[in-house]
Amino acid sequence: MSNSLRPYLSAVRSTLTAALTLQNFSSQVVERHNKPEVEARGSKEVLLNSLTISRNESERVLIEPSINSIRMSIKIKQADEIENILCHKFTRFMMQRAENFIVLRRKPVPGYDISFLITNVHSETMLKHKIVDFIIQFMEEVDKEISEMKLTLNARARTVAESYLMAFDS
Amino acid sequence: MILLESHNVIIYTTLAEKAAKPSSLDVVFVDFDGVRFHMSTLEKKTVIQLSMSIRCWDELAQYGALDILKREYGSLIKAATEPEYNVTLQIDLEQLPVDVESREAIIKSVALIKRNVLGAPFETAFREQKELEDSAGSRGQFMQIHYRDEEAIYIRAASDRVTVIFSTVFREETDRIFGKLFLQEFVDARRPGIQNAPPSIQNAPQVLYSNRDPPLEIRDLPGLRHSEDIGYVTFVLSPRHFAKSDASFNTISHIQLFRDYLHYHIKCCKAYMHSRMRHRVSEFQKVLNRAKMETATTERKTVTGRTMVSR
Amino acid sequence: MSLLAPIICDNGTGFSKIGFAGNSDPSFVFPTAIATRGGPTAQSARGGPPIPAKPGNLASKRGIEDLDFFIGDEALANSKTPGYGVHYPIRHGMIENWDHMERYWEQTIFKYLRAEPEDHYFLLTEPPLNPPENREQTAEIFFESFNIKGLYIAVQAVLALAASWSSNRVTDRTLTGTVIDSGDGVTHVIPCAEGYVIGSAIKHIPIAGRDITQFVLNLMRERGEMTTVPPEDQLKVASKVKEDYSYVCQDIVKEFRKYDVEPYKYFERYDGESSVTRRFMSSQKYALDIGYERFLAPEIFFNPEIYSSDFLTPLPEIVDDVIQSSPIDVRRGLYKNIVLSGGSTMFQHFGQRLKRDLRQLVDRRLEASVISSRSTQKSSGVEVEVISHKRQRYAVWFGGSLLASLPEFYNFCHTKAQYDEIGPSICRRYHIFGSAT
Repeated sequence: MSNSLRPYLSAVRSTLTAALTLQNFSSQVVERHNKPEVEARGSKEVLLNSLTISRNESERVLIEPSINSIRMSIKIKQADEIENILCHKFTRFMMQRAENFIVLRRKPVPGYDISFLITNVHSETMLKHKIVDFIIQFMEEVDKEISEMKLTLNARARTVAESYLMAFDS
Repeated sequence: MILLESHNVIIYTTLAEKAAKPSSLDVVFVDFDGVRFHMSTLEKKTVIQLSMSIRCWDELAQYGALDILKREYGSLIKAATEPEYNVTLQIDLEQLPVDVESREAIIKSVALIKRNVLGAPFETAFREQKELEDSAGSRGQFMQIHYRDEEAIYIRAASDRVTVIFSTVFREETDRIFGKLFLQEFVDARRPGIQNAPPSIQNAPQVLYSNRDPPLEIRDLPGLRHSEDIGYVTFVLSPRHFAKSDASFNTISHIQLFRDYLHYHIKCCKAYMHSRMRHRVSEFQKVLNRAKMETATTERKTVTGRTMVSR
Repeated sequence: MSLLAPIICDNGTGFSKIGFAGNSDPSFVFPTAIATRGGPTAQSARGGPPIPAKPGNLASKRGIEDLDFFIGDEALANSKTPGYGVHYPIRHGMIENWDHMERYWEQTIFKYLRAEPEDHYFLLTEPPLNPPENREQTAEIFFESFNIKGLYIAVQAVLALAASWSSNRVTDRTLTGTVIDSGDGVTHVIPCAEGYVIGSAIKHIPIAGRDITQFVLNLMRERGEMTTVPPEDQLKVASKVKEDYSYVCQDIVKEFRKYDVEPYKYFERYDGESSVTRRFMSSQKYALDIGYERFLAPEIFFNPEIYSSDFLTPLPEIVDDVIQSSPIDVRRGLYKNIVLSGGSTMFQHFGQRLKRDLRQLVDRRLEASVISSRSTQKSSGVEVEVISHKRQRYAVWFGGSLLASLPEFYNFCHTKAQYDEIGPSICRRYHIFGSAT
């Protein structure tokens, strides 16, 4: 783990833990509705200041808290177009299965690669620190996964090319 | 399966099956690069007609495909070609040789029909190279085979080599990036100094790759596109790849499947990525599931002792 | 290059039927089996990507272990090869292991069909009550991995109905009817209305091809015919007897009498040869008599009690139940168009017998209702028709081939462009060929 990753993750962890103080809150606009305020943006007073934690220009996290929900978006490191495409593929694959990942948003917030939406229902039915654990682990592993995928891709390409060229000799 | 095979499995299995037990037949099927086949029996169950349509037939005929067909199939070629198709073979099952091996050989050679037809310009180029080498000429004729809608093969013989250029188009962004990576490896694989590269790879043809800009040999051709999704792959075949007849046979079968090989592997690669992602996503799922609280499921009973069952 | 024929893939639990639209038979029929390295349990349990194997032969080179596998007949042939394990990616008609299925398709397309998927439209089939998530996953594989031009996923039962259009007894091309689909593992009775499956009324029967073979085997063992047959061939002989000599009788008692009076006329003789050549014994020949099995085998559909003790409802009764639990306004259409599909419905006279038995059930109910209502009006009766046709064995595949060769097929497909625009959820809906005439 490089030296800047640990403080980055611990900053995200503590911010997220602090932000996850949610309570049930009925809509002020429509009777008997209860919406995640961070998405509905119905009134200003229930939204809190959003916060960005950046590791460098290509990796950052945006946390948008509100009274009954927080939205958290991650920008994943993409060094070149291969990482770009792999990252895009992976996040899309995961968001396609958002139904199973209760806290995952189906679409990322513009400017980011993947977003999570945690509401008070989630924080009431699930263990809060475990949700945070999950997000931190995701951040840790997604980088690893993408660089691993890139490595295997390169290895495969090499093998494929060699096998083809070697067949000329047989 | 790493390498693709050259023969058509459907032709092979169908012929083998019908040779053992003739019955009436009428099927259409395809091969790579938009080749269409029609296999049918007409009046008699024992006479099978196999027609092939190939996109670039006119070009291939110009480069000697007919001679090759005559050489390979001789009397099997039917004079009256089926409409909408380019070549028609007629195979009389009763006239097939009785012994297993030569029968097998004929069936196999029919299954290679696409390879043989598409091999015509290559054979021509190899022949020309020989002539040029003897006569010390500089360049052979320039052959273009538009084997797909947007892609073509260009072949030219010189006194010491035969240059084969493929133009490749990737319709999708992912494919384009994967393709670029793969093609770069084709170029690099032969470069000396790469660790634990097998030594025999030095004997492989030299590969050049350029994205967007066509290589020098075909730069003057009209109608070339200059866009990001197009790439040009050049194979430089030296005489050692085609001097001997079996080497030449092998090279032709091999090089004409280059595009399909490349696309096959890009697809396999994506399939592999899918299985990786499936695995990783299920791992993440497990982590998230740990966050779920276990809902206490106590059995609720009525006062008379009956269990409440939710329906 | 839209001239290229669409590809029809009917992946069933036991066998996959694969070929091109416009043909009357699939080009390939082989087991839906895949043999991969790493044993049957080691890998699938984890579901993870294969661990890089030790460097060695060409096949297990770095990074491409996942290309080292066989499908179909080759998979079974390699099941004994050390290091390979055979998997069946489809269970009960539904895809269970997507990793294996994706690779299975990969090899189907490139090795067997030799088609560039980017140039083709695909028609795939799905079992009734397939969850929409499975469709999405399938679409994801076909559009993203293979970049296919267009996709249509059809319900198997609907294709079986379409296949019956080839029968000359069908005059109007309707997609309303009851499909009896009996393969190797299980038999389904599926009602369809205007191209939509009536999911709530579907019934399954745990009797199918495999059970019939077992039943024939039991009968022949009891009569002592199997004593001369080497044990490893017994199952094969039984299935041969089932396929080549069996038929459905109209009256079981009469049939027994017929056999007893003139055994020589009805008993058939079967000559076989041992498939395993043992040492010291060049191929062993055997012969056996086939008797009552001929008509008793398919009888287990109509009198299940002769075979099983836990499933006792005869097929005609199930069919009647299914139609009775469907909406009342389509029942007439369902009775009028009962379509057979799958290898285990291929017995001679199967259709006639089913029609007769079902007719009796229906008539009896009509009479009973006339009596109980004391009405003077009489029902005009319900038309019962069972359709058997030549393409029954691969009916689902053939129906697909038929539909995909219609010019409007291309309009019904979802194209790559649409997929890119909307995403996999596009596959939750498909146009129904209901209006196709």
